[in-house]
Amino acid sequence: MTFDVAYALSIVPKIASALGATIIVAFLSCVFASLLGFVLEVTRRSGVAMSYLMRFTIDFIRSTPLLVQLYFFYFVLPVYGIKLPALLIGVIAISIYYSGYLAEVFKAGIDGVDKGQFEGAKALGLTRLQGVLLVIAPQMLRNIAAPMGNYFIGIFKSTPYLAAIAVHEAFGAALDIASDTFRYTEPMLVVGAIFLGIALSLAWIVRRLEAYLAISTRH
Amino acid sequence: MSFVDVLSGILQGLGVTLTVTALGMLYAVPFAFAAGITQHVSRGLAYGAITAVIEFWRSTSVIILLYGFYYTLPTAGLRLSAITVGSMVLGLHIGAYGSQAVRGALQAVDKGQSEAGRAIGLRDWQILLLIELPQALLAMVPTFINQFIQLVKGTALVSLVTLSDMTFRAKEISQLYYDPPKIYFALLVAYFILCYPATIAGRWIERRVGAGRRIVHDV
Repeated sequence: MTFDVAYALSIVPKIASALGATIIVAFLSCVFASLLGFVLEVTRRSGVAMSYLMRFTIDFIRSTPLLVQLYFFYFVLPVYGIKLPALLIGVIAISIYYSGYLAEVFKAGIDGVDKGQFEGAKALGLTRLQGVLLVIAPQMLRNIAAPMGNYFIGIFKSTPYLAAIAVHEAFGAALDIASDTFRYTEPMLVVGAIFLGIALSLAWIVRRLEAYLAISTRH
Repeated sequence: MSFVDVLSGILQGLGVTLTVTALGMLYAVPFAFAAGITQHVSRGLAYGAITAVIEFWRSTSVIILLYGFYYTLPTAGLRLSAITVGSMVLGLHIGAYGSQAVRGALQAVDKGQSEAGRAIGLRDWQILLLIELPQALLAMVPTFINQFIQLVKGTALVSLVTLSDMTFRAKEISQLYYDPPKIYFALLVAYFILCYPATIAGRWIERRVGAGRRIVHDV
């Protein structure tokens, strides 16, 4: 195998410059996936019919591949006259896909909060929404921070899927370079190393956070 | 084309999807056990080495691994079929996640068990094989089922390296008959039918094996 170090170094800036799109997609997806996952889980708790409907929705989202969901939105939305930039479609697909997993994290988080807290909120005359936002959510956050962090890493690692719908993020940039030059080894290694480095750093932060929360909850 | 026609067209790719899944399991399960057990029993340098291998397969984006190996191996003189590379990459990626379930389950076995084994004169490998593993197996099952679902969904990626699985078939059909809503919805349904039974089984077993265990998912 021939590995051209000078060539590998020369493509680093090109790939790194597309990292901005990767980070934008990852950040927006983390925000929207969390919001949507929270809404899914809270809705699931608001009645028997809703419980079955949302359970099924979450299962459907979790039982289908991200790539297929991505294609679905990319090819189907324009048919109904909804023309969005590919990057935004990527954010929508990743957000929906991970909302199914984050809903499950919120479920465990809410179940982990003592029942007396719900009753206390009600006794104080808070509305359901106020109770959830002001009393339950802050206590829940500490239980779910680490699992949420792990899914955020998953979201980051899923951003290269967007290359399949021609979004120019870091992996797409590496593929473009590779198909221009017919040299795959260097671009794949460079982009792989960048993603691995960021993913490992994020994992380290999540582990630290987990340890910190474990200490601060110990009585 | 009716919905049933589209679905049966997509199902022509079922063979490839199932083949990649089955071959992937052949990589994933042995790798998960070998890596998880090694991590459990080793110290120092060996521990560092196996952790590095696991982290490489676990923390790199699977789509980058797939492209990287598919396009880079030939330049190293290794000509492997797309199906071999696809199932190997997906299998080892999933197996790396599985290894953490193996290690976690082994570590959760009460320490008194291995001490009792030593007390009655068993060798280390006997303690592992006869005492620790049998007790740990059940705890691994929920994670293994979840990772199996991730593998089935992951096989959609092989459509990107020219294999005609269900996703590839759907794209072919949509090039012949322009009807994205029907075709991509049928594709979602096809994967859902494949994965939903495992989702249900996984949840049922998880309830039985013990609540509260955190399960690591990934794509």
